[in-house]
Amino acid sequence: MKLYLAQLWAVAWKDLMIEFRSRERVGAMAGFTVLVGVLFNYAIDPTLVRPEDIASGLIWLTIVFAGTLGLGRTFELEAQDGAFQGVLMTPAPRDALFLGKVLSNYVILLVVVFIVLGVFGLFFSLDWGSSPGTLVGVLALGALGFVAVGTLFSAVSSGTAMGVALLPILLFPLLVPVVIYGTSATGRLLADRPLAEVDGQLRILGAFALVALAVGAGLFRYVVEE
Amino acid sequence: MKSHEAAEAAGSGIRWLAVGMSMLGLALMLLLHWEVFFWVNTESTMGVVQRIFYIHVPAAWVGVYLAFGIVALCSAVYLWLGDERVDMAAVAAAEGGMVFTTIVLLTGPLWGKIAWGTYWAWDPRLTSTLLLWFIYLGYFIVRSSTENPERGRRFAAVVGIVGALDLPLIHLSVTWFRSLHPQPVVLKPERPTLDPDMLMTLMTGLLAFTVLFLGLIAFRYGLERSRWNLELRTRRAGSA
Repeated sequence: MKLYLAQLWAVAWKDLMIEFRSRERVGAMAGFTVLVGVLFNYAIDPTLVRPEDIASGLIWLTIVFAGTLGLGRTFELEAQDGAFQGVLMTPAPRDALFLGKVLSNYVILLVVVFIVLGVFGLFFSLDWGSSPGTLVGVLALGALGFVAVGTLFSAVSSGTAMGVALLPILLFPLLVPVVIYGTSATGRLLADRPLAEVDGQLRILGAFALVALAVGAGLFRYVVEE
Repeated sequence: MKSHEAAEAAGSGIRWLAVGMSMLGLALMLLLHWEVFFWVNTESTMGVVQRIFYIHVPAAWVGVYLAFGIVALCSAVYLWLGDERVDMAAVAAAEGGMVFTTIVLLTGPLWGKIAWGTYWAWDPRLTSTLLLWFIYLGYFIVRSSTENPERGRRFAAVVGIVGALDLPLIHLSVTWFRSLHPQPVVLKPERPTLDPDMLMTLMTGLLAFTVLFLGLIAFRYGLERSRWNLELRTRRAGSA
């Protein structure tokens, strides 16, 4: 178990270190987020719609789109010079590799989630409601399920000739539950509804994340097998 | 050479099965259309448009449940055992499934335009079927866009398994989302309890679509087998 966690951590640490030094994915996703915020501002007529009424949907769509942009590159760097073959040759089990990749992607996506919250809060002067902690919890749980499915299908799309362009087609139908329960819970928290109202959504987001992690860990070896 | 002859014999068996089932399916389909257009009574509230129900529901049964069930099951077995024949059954079922879900997606809105007053009303069943259609699409794209066909088969199996696990949750969530909204009066998707003639027609439809689908996937399976044998022979001839 200790060895397993060490292997998992080694993969995650390597990816996070690369990301910390290059800031390639976070940079692209952060830029995307800020610019989407600017575009949304002009796409929404504030005399017709109040931004806070549709904020939960905008937040989730920005996270999903920015996340897809970043997740698509999970295996791109290692595709060069057969670096991923080297990773596969290590004695680490495939599920540890998968969970390590999920962990590094998750940390990166959480950074993006906070950027999204900051940007939308600033641009649309949103009020985060009376329980910002629960709000972050909803986003973090939803993001975990998203990252688990996204990492698996990022491995699939990287192995095809279409590459990243294929990822949304594979991913978006599967993400419908996350977006529906995520936006519903976020919307209620932004509207200051009682916490009991988001209990069910939180449970489903949690269950989705757990199942996605288990299924991804189980199937990953069939995706990366040569 | 013995196994070779056995494969040939199995191939011709499948061809006969495919021809027989498809012929029977087409005959039942003619019977179904006779029943739908001339025999069964017109439904009292919805009128003539309700007759599309006898095509729509059987197509949904085949495309959503039967075909995708076979795809999911065969995908799991293929990853487990690695037997190409199971994958051939999966791709045959997926192709049939995509055709039948397309029929569902065409007939549903046509009925909806008359019964609900709009083509697309975000009805949960129709929405789930649309998303399933995209899962089928992803299944075919990953198969065809890898250099190594064996890898494409594995990718497709992964799409099939994850899709099958996620589909109930997708359906649950779109249904839940619908129920949050007040149900408009015109958009009631409730159907009347069926009278015996209508039930008979529906049963004919279910049987006709199931038999025709099985005939079609037998054809597709036979085609995949022939392709496989051809490839083997070409490779053998190349190495000899």
